[in-house]
Amino acid sequence: MRATVFLLPLALLPIFANEFWLVHIFSRALILGIIALSLTFLATYLGVVSFAQATMAGIAGYVLAYFGPNTVDVGHELPFAAAIPIALLMSVLSGAVVGLIARRSQGIYAIMITLAIAVAFFYFTRQNYSFFNGWTGFSGLRSPQIGDTALRTPVVFYLLCLGVAALLLAMVSGFVRSPMGLTIQAVRDARRRVQAIGIPLTTPIVSAYAFAGFIAGSGGILNVWYQERISSFSVGLGPIVDILTISVIGGLRHPSGAFIGAVAFVLLDTFAIDFVDRERFNTLIGVTLLIIVLLAPRGLRGLWDDTVARFGNARDGGENTGKSQQST
Amino acid sequence: MPVNTINGEPYALDVQGVGRRFGEFWAIEDVTLKVRPGERRAILGPNGAGKTTLFNVITGDFPASSGTIRMFGLDVTTAPVEKRIAHGLRRTYQHALLFDGLTVAETLFLAVCGVAGGWRKILPLRRDDENRDRAIELAHRAGLGDQIDHQVELLSHGQRRQLEIGLALAEDPTLLLLDEPAAGLSPAERPKLAELLRTLPDSVAVVLIEHDMDIALQTSQSVTVLHNGRMLAEGTPQDVMKDADVHRVYVGGSHGH
Ligand SMILES: Nc1ncnc2c1ncn2[C@@H]1O[C@H](COP(=O)(O)OP(=O)(O)OP(=O)(O)O)[C@@H](O)[C@H]1O
Ligand SMILES: [Mg+2]
Repeated sequence: MRATVFLLPLALLPIFANEFWLVHIFSRALILGIIALSLTFLATYLGVVSFAQATMAGIAGYVLAYFGPNTVDVGHELPFAAAIPIALLMSVLSGAVVGLIARRSQGIYAIMITLAIAVAFFYFTRQNYSFFNGWTGFSGLRSPQIGDTALRTPVVFYLLCLGVAALLLAMVSGFVRSPMGLTIQAVRDARRRVQAIGIPLTTPIVSAYAFAGFIAGSGGILNVWYQERISSFSVGLGPIVDILTISVIGGLRHPSGAFIGAVAFVLLDTFAIDFVDRERFNTLIGVTLLIIVLLAPRGLRGLWDDTVARFGNARDGGENTGKSQQST
Repeated sequence: MPVNTINGEPYALDVQGVGRRFGEFWAIEDVTLKVRPGERRAILGPNGAGKTTLFNVITGDFPASSGTIRMFGLDVTTAPVEKRIAHGLRRTYQHALLFDGLTVAETLFLAVCGVAGGWRKILPLRRDDENRDRAIELAHRAGLGDQIDHQVELLSHGQRRQLEIGLALAEDPTLLLLDEPAAGLSPAERPKLAELLRTLPDSVAVVLIEHDMDIALQTSQSVTVLHNGRMLAEGTPQDVMKDADVHRVYVGGSHGH
C-alpha cells in the first residue's frame, strides 16, 4: 500500500521527464540501485558486507553478452528467452560460490575475502579471451525487441527498470518474512545460537548470497542493455567502490536505502562536473560520503526515518517508543 | 571397557575423560560424567571452574580436545552441533544468546523448525503454519504469552532468560543443559522458573549449572562438583554436602558469588 504511494508518481514520470532524465538519471539510478540492493540486502539481513556484488552483476552481464547479439567475434548467439535465464542462473551460482567461500567470515574478513574474489575475477576477465574477450570485452550489445519496440527505447526501458526494481524490493520483503529469511536474520544476530537450535549455518548463508546474486544479476542484465557494452572495467575496482558508496550513502539498514543512495550518487556523478572538474570528482564523492557517515550514520534512509519519527512524535506529543527501561 | 549402559539402557549423557584446551590452558581436564535418562543432575563449582566449558564441549560449541561423548549410545564427540540437537539435546546460555532483530514468536518458530524441519522454506510464512502454532504454545509455556510479537531486543533481562528456556524446551528435548538459568532473576521470577523446571516431563534428563548451592541441592538427585577444571566430588546432595574437599573449596574462601 505504502509502496504504491511511491510507485505511482514514479510510473507517471515519463509524462514529465525528458529522455536524458529518464535514461541517464533515473534508469541508471534504478540499475545501480538494484546492484546496490544486493549489497544492502546482505548487510541488512545477513549482517555481512560483500565487495563482490558488482562482480555478480558483471557475471550476468558477461553471460548475456556472450549468448546475446554482439559485434565481437566471441560467443554463441542464443534467443533471449534462453540467454536471460542462463545469465540469472550464473549470477545465482556465482553468489552461492562466494557464499560458500566466505561462509565462515564476518566483518573485515568477509570484506577481504569478497574483495579478493572480485579482484581475482577482474584480472581473469582481462586475461581470458575465449569467454571474456580480454580487457576490451563486448560491444554492440542490443536489448530484446518486443514487436517493433526495443526494450532500450527510453520510456520502455525506464518502466522496465522501475518494474524490475519494484519486483525485487517486493521479493526481498517477502523473502525476509519466510522461514529461510528469518533464519538468515537469526544468523546475523547470533550464529552460535542458530546451530544450538539445530540449524546448520552453511545453508542460510549460501542462500542469502545466492539470492543477492539473483538481485545483482538482474541489475547486471539491465546494465548491459543500458551501457550496450561490457568489459573488465565493469567488474573493476571503480564499480565495486561505487556500489559500496551507494549502499553506505543510502544506509545499510533498509533495502530501499540502496535506491535513495543511487539517486544521490547519479545526481552527483552527473552534475558535479558542472562545478568541479573530473579529477576532483572522487574527492567530492569522498567528502560527501564522509559527511553522510558522520552526520547520518544510518545513511539517507536512516535520516529519513529519523525525520519522520521526529515529526510523528511531535504530533503524538513526543511519546516514547516503549523501549524497555530496564536498568539493573 | 567402560560401562556404557545402565540396566541395558544407554546413558542419556556419557562423558568419558573429556578435556578442552585453550592454547596451553586446559579449561577442563579428564571429566567423566554419566547421566541417566530422566535424571536431574546439578553441576557445582566456583567461578572459572569450567562448568560452562563442559557444556560447550557437550553441545559441540567447542569440540573436545580429548575424551569421548555419547548421547543415548550415539558417539557425538566430533558431531556438528545441529546433529546433537536433532538427537534430543538442548541448552540455554549463561549470557542469553538471542536473535535481537526477531520477535519472540519468530525466535521460537525457528527453534521449532530447527528440530521439526521447515526452516528451508523460502515463501512467506503462512498464518496457519503448524510450527507457528507450536511456537506460540511454547511462548506461553515459557511465560512469554503476552510478549509474542515483541522484538527480542526490547525484552527485559528476566524475559530474555525465559526466552532462553523457551528455546531449550522446543520440540520435546530428552537432554537439557541449563547454564545458571536463575542468574539475575528477581525474587518474584525465581519461583516461576523453579515451577517450570519441576513440571518438565520425567523423561527429560536435566543437567543444571547453579551457583546457588541451596537451589542446586534442592532440585537435584545427584551433584557433580568441578574445581579448576577437574572433578572434585560426585554423589547424592547429602554426600556432597558432607565432602571435606567441597567444604574446603566453598567455605574456604574462593567462592566468589
Ligand atoms: N573461549 C575461551 N577461550 C579461552 N579461555 C576460555 C574460554 N572459555 C573459557 N575459558 C577459560 O576456561 C576457564 C573456565 O571457564 P568457564 O566459563 O567454563 O567457567 P565457569 O565454571 O562456567 O565459571 P562461571 O561460574 O564464572 O560461569 C576460565 O578460566 C576461562 O577463562
Ligand atoms: Mg559459566
